[in-house]
Amino acid sequence: MRAAERIGKLLRSRSPRGWAATVCIYALALTWLYPFLWMVAAALKPTAQIYNTGLFEGDFTLDNFRFLFATADKLDRPFLQAMGISLLVTVSVTLSVLLSSAFIAFALARLRFPGRKLFGDFLLLQMVIPTTMFILPLFVLIKQLGLLNSLGALILPFMMSGWGIYMMAQSFKAMPEEYFDAARLDRASLWQTVTRVVAPLNKSIIAIVALFTFTGTWDNFLWPLIAISDTDRMPLSVLLATFSKQYGGYAGPVMAGAVLQTLPLVLLFVLFRRHFLQGMSLTLK
Amino acid sequence: MNRRRRLSRESWIGLSLALSYMVFTAIFWVYPFFWLARLSVTQWRFFDEPIFTGTRNLVMTLQDPQFLQSLLNVLRFLVMYVPIAFGGALVVAFGLQHVGRGKAFVALCFLLSNVSSGVALSLVFTKIFSSTGPLNALLFDWLGIRIPWTTHPTLAMLAIALVVAWKFVGYYGLILYSGLLTIPKDIYDAARLDHASPLTRLARITLPLLNAQLMMVLVFAILVSFGLFTEPFLITGGGPGDSTMPPQMMIYETAFRRLQPSHAAMMSILVSVASYALIVIARRLFERKVTLA
Repeated sequence: MRAAERIGKLLRSRSPRGWAATVCIYALALTWLYPFLWMVAAALKPTAQIYNTGLFEGDFTLDNFRFLFATADKLDRPFLQAMGISLLVTVSVTLSVLLSSAFIAFALARLRFPGRKLFGDFLLLQMVIPTTMFILPLFVLIKQLGLLNSLGALILPFMMSGWGIYMMAQSFKAMPEEYFDAARLDRASLWQTVTRVVAPLNKSIIAIVALFTFTGTWDNFLWPLIAISDTDRMPLSVLLATFSKQYGGYAGPVMAGAVLQTLPLVLLFVLFRRHFLQGMSLTLK
Repeated sequence: MNRRRRLSRESWIGLSLALSYMVFTAIFWVYPFFWLARLSVTQWRFFDEPIFTGTRNLVMTLQDPQFLQSLLNVLRFLVMYVPIAFGGALVVAFGLQHVGRGKAFVALCFLLSNVSSGVALSLVFTKIFSSTGPLNALLFDWLGIRIPWTTHPTLAMLAIALVVAWKFVGYYGLILYSGLLTIPKDIYDAARLDHASPLTRLARITLPLLNAQLMMVLVFAILVSFGLFTEPFLITGGGPGDSTMPPQMMIYETAFRRLQPSHAAMMSILVSVASYALIVIARRLFERKVTLA
């Protein structure tokens, strides 16, 4: 009875046109997810059925994934290894960016040292210059260092991020001074101040920097395409693209690979969705 | 005495932290920057010594019809992308304002495309847009037509614009929504007293007060259009002809397929200058100082 009352109240809270608009928005939001649904469905169907069955029809199997891990290996396309490389590279870059950004941002936001303003201005200048401009000369540098075709080429140039430092510094600046007075009284070291005081109070911005760095590194395509030419050194993004180019007819396995490429990103996004939305509103101020 | 010692320790820590970043930047940013400048005025083929050629690269690049086509493609892309992206973003922003409870859910649905894999979804859209794909099957069932998404120059560009818009509309919508939140309600009440129609309220109140956010979206859209690579590379391969070839792909092909890095370096510089110029022009044309007086 009370439930019925509440539903009735909810229904009356909007005009019929208001309800129509609400339904439309939810429908549109769900339509936005259609490519993901189609990808998962296609990955679970035999290639012959992908184009001529409805979204939820067909003989669902895991054969495409089996093909990817067993048969593709013999075609010189080691997907399992590529996933390992992607994971190793992405986790190292993300951890390195988080750690370096947190400390350097702390310095920029809260420590007084000569040249601090100049350093902040330099970071801003760096962010204005498009990074895509540097891909070619970065290739020259990596070649000179003898790092082509190695994991170093994928990790070293991205271990620090001016953007990460800038974003975190913006957030750290807004903290009340009292926290740092207390930390000073307790004679907290630099490490303790950053990890025990600053980090727990800035979880959202740290989550945003982590998520964007992770996504950007995992899904980076142009740079590994240039820097890595051996298939057994390729990260998943590039291996998948070359596989699709050469064996485009294997639509099922290609879609299975696409699922593997998407899965970690979607999982992280769903897990950290609250921090993500909070952090997004921080970045938009 | 004590205070001075602590200050010096503080500045010592700050300096060394800032310095660690500057060392990193010197290696991976400043050094490549000089190489770019050097390459742009020399002739080099990856293994020999660069030979100074002055402005030859500049002249050659400016006369390269393929490169000019790739710059033109940016404009062709923007003409389709900007209306789709702005329209979509406004719908998302008003939608978020309209739905009460499920706001986070709706926002997350639209944002998922933004944080997920561009490589994987480009491959998915290659299948979705293919002549036998689900989109054409749907159009054929409803309207009896099939659209050659990837073999017609304009339609291929439209397909790319749709995919990229699908990816960014949620993010742009969130930017506009954050702007909507700052508009005071009583302005709308006053407008309603004056019997302003919903369309008038949109054109005279909402859009002008959103100018800062709209400009932000426009600048992002311009940056996206100049940075485009993955989607055209995987979905159309730059074709048919060079009709969807973006500048980044042109640079990639020139440097690593035709092995003319000097030529490509000049292109990188020109593309950056062009993107900067377009942003300046857009701001001159559309940016307004809006104050609530």
